[in-house]
Amino acid sequence: MLTYIIRRVLILIPMALVICFLVYLGLEMTPGDAVSFMISPDALSSMDPAQLAEMREALGLGQPFIVRFWIWLSSLLQGNFGYSTSGGVPIGRILSDRLPATLELSVAALVLSTILGSLLGVISALKRGSKTDSALTVVGMLGVSVPEFFFGLVAILIFGLNLGWLPVGGRMMPGYVTFWDRLPHLIMPASVLSIMLTAGVMRYARSSMLDALSKDFIKTARSKGIPEWRVNLLHGFRVALTPVVVLIGFRLPVLLGGSVIIEQVFQWPGIGNEFISAVRGQDYPVVMTIALLSVMTVLVASLIVDVLTAVIDPRVRLGD
Amino acid sequence: MKKLLMLGTALLLSTTAIGSAWAQAINSNPLSDPRVRQAIAYAIDMDTIVETLFEGNAIRAVGLLPDGPNKPDDLERYDYNPDKARELLAEAGWDSSRELDVVYYYADQGTADLMATMQAYLADVGISMNYRMLEGDVGPQITALPADPVAGPSGVKWDILYGARAALALQEYFNQFGYGLMPTIPNVPEMNDLVAQVNSTTDPEVQREGYHQMERVINKNAYIIPLYYQQLYTYESNRLHRNGAPYGNEQYNYNWDVQNWTVDPTADGKNVLYTNAAPAQFFEVPWQNLGIWVHSKFAFDTVLEADGNLTPIGGELAESYSVSEDGLDVSFTLKDGLTWHDGTPLTADDLAWSIEAALKFPITHPVLMATFKAIDGSEAFQTGAADHVSGVSVEGNTVKLKFDHIDPNVLLSFSQFAPLPKAQFAGVNPVELQQSAYWQKPIGSGPFMIDEVRMNDYTTLVPFAAYHGGAPKIEQIIARPSGDNDGNLLVNATAGKADFGYTKSAGDVPGLEGLSYMTVKPIDIPYTRMIWINQFPHPAK
Repeated sequence: MLTYIIRRVLILIPMALVICFLVYLGLEMTPGDAVSFMISPDALSSMDPAQLAEMREALGLGQPFIVRFWIWLSSLLQGNFGYSTSGGVPIGRILSDRLPATLELSVAALVLSTILGSLLGVISALKRGSKTDSALTVVGMLGVSVPEFFFGLVAILIFGLNLGWLPVGGRMMPGYVTFWDRLPHLIMPASVLSIMLTAGVMRYARSSMLDALSKDFIKTARSKGIPEWRVNLLHGFRVALTPVVVLIGFRLPVLLGGSVIIEQVFQWPGIGNEFISAVRGQDYPVVMTIALLSVMTVLVASLIVDVLTAVIDPRVRLGD
Repeated sequence: MKKLLMLGTALLLSTTAIGSAWAQAINSNPLSDPRVRQAIAYAIDMDTIVETLFEGNAIRAVGLLPDGPNKPDDLERYDYNPDKARELLAEAGWDSSRELDVVYYYADQGTADLMATMQAYLADVGISMNYRMLEGDVGPQITALPADPVAGPSGVKWDILYGARAALALQEYFNQFGYGLMPTIPNVPEMNDLVAQVNSTTDPEVQREGYHQMERVINKNAYIIPLYYQQLYTYESNRLHRNGAPYGNEQYNYNWDVQNWTVDPTADGKNVLYTNAAPAQFFEVPWQNLGIWVHSKFAFDTVLEADGNLTPIGGELAESYSVSEDGLDVSFTLKDGLTWHDGTPLTADDLAWSIEAALKFPITHPVLMATFKAIDGSEAFQTGAADHVSGVSVEGNTVKLKFDHIDPNVLLSFSQFAPLPKAQFAGVNPVELQQSAYWQKPIGSGPFMIDEVRMNDYTTLVPFAAYHGGAPKIEQIIARPSGDNDGNLLVNATAGKADFGYTKSAGDVPGLEGLSYMTVKPIDIPYTRMIWINQFPHPAK
């Protein structure tokens, strides 16, 4: 397994480089640059083009594309993320400010959706064909098909504005010190973000559980007189867990990017919001760093899923 | 019989129809025919558009300048008249198979709706148009000049541009009519002289006469078609009390007396004012968008003070100022004992350094830049031939400016110019001023100090006890990052987390007006939405 992991890690590097180059190329092909974003078009006609050119030069935007990419890459290899073009903020600082907010939101949503999804999926499978199963199926379909922002707006309207139970947005307020202070801000965005994930996990868990329950070893366990709850949970659920773990693993990178809309709806100061602003502002160094982070998350998550699958399911042999 | 003939001729000449019969295209582009441009003006029913599309939250424009004494009252209104539009097009021999390429650069839905409406109105009179939003580096796409200011060909690739002119000084509406500066209109010699006239005097009467004449020329020839005046809206919750402080053009700095505002305590007994537009990644240098960001106005004071109409009325950081008879020598004496928020003295050196830095900062507001460029030695400083601007000198607490030529807006510029603390920018290239770490938590000179900054989450400001105008009464300001045309603005306002702010987005108004505790006040500002018609021979056509 160790050889397999090392081989996969080595493959990650060229893959990440190629993807980053493609992202950089895509940005390059987008019209405009950071300077054109800084100035309102209404004011542009009165600006001095020579001074704007000087600004572009000072910000390193006048160099050829490949040179800029190389500068970014070589700085990165030296551990230097660089600076935001528009505001001069060190990107390391942007990441350290924003990443915890996104991870807090994502992890909360992941934990919530994993527990709820697995639980409801198992219940649905065990009560196959019942009204409970039908109701959960409908709820699951709604969860995956209704857009997150809709749930977000409805939640804000009900719990934030009408009932006044929860704050309508933001992550912090002056005077907050501990996690518990800001927990009320987390509840709505994390719950809404977890709705779609819960529905997906539930559907997977249900079908996987049904599949497991139809296996011969389950019949064997029952014939041995093992109590039904033990058959279901210890024998059935363990096997059913494998595809669920795979799904959750692949959800890790989705959580990083998938929270973009939720961050906007709930004014959550995370990396997704920053990414949107950076793309709009053509802030190359910020876009590239966040893109690299996303790429690495996808690749590493894929590796983790493979390894975990092998750990959970002894039939899987990595590298074969 | 002869008298009858003369009378008939005079009558005919007095009508627009016969007047326009003499008009004709001045080059191969049919849009260079004033009758076609006038037809476009007559074809669009701006009154209905304002009432329906904008729900009354705009003012139908007649003339480029906002209503007031600087605009003549005899302009042709171009009221909606599709029959007249068709008639003019027929006279001009308009080819209805020609399709106009109309461009714009606003991403909001309201603009797209306006384009679709214009398309329908123009189609009704036989003009077909397509519209598209300009993407990317918009500047060169809208400002590219023709090779020859008279003969063209056009440097831009479109037929009509929908955009706006937001002016600090009224000259900004007309300066593009200077020789060789206009991307869409073959040079108009009459306008060149008038532009020079309004820029070379500080006499408001002479300027006014120039504005009147220019408005008439533009109006008669429909060189530019003004559509509507956009308003700005302030919103205030009933917790806020301005205590008689004046209202004004919030896009800029004026005497809003914020230090005397008060708020009713919140449920937990705090005198907190909630507002919006907190920074997402950095604070902006206050020399570009002079008053757009409310936190900049809280945190920075300007040299002079203006009233709500932006007429300079006295000193703010300056105790006094003087202007020589010929307008070429100007001095500002700062108040004694001024300090920055960190307690360090605010000196004349800071002001002198700021003027020089603003000259090199590429996106300084054009009106300020024009003022600073008029100072002796500014060009040598900008090109690097001199280390300092020779026309800027410091004597004690006084900054003296020697101008090379008259700048009509010198006092206006200094009523909008907030100096920065020189010591905070040691080693910073002014070209990269915005990239300085200072802008993560700036130290200012205004009535409120920036206290806590959580980028893209919230910013708090607290009173500056040593403020020269007296310590502010509001104990804390909490700003969230929501802004104009952002659904979160209304969410925050509904949740009681926006007591004060302003927006130019008419789309924000109905929601804010629907809140029983919110007062929305429209304010007329010099901000005209208009269309520029490209008259140069068009390479793409």
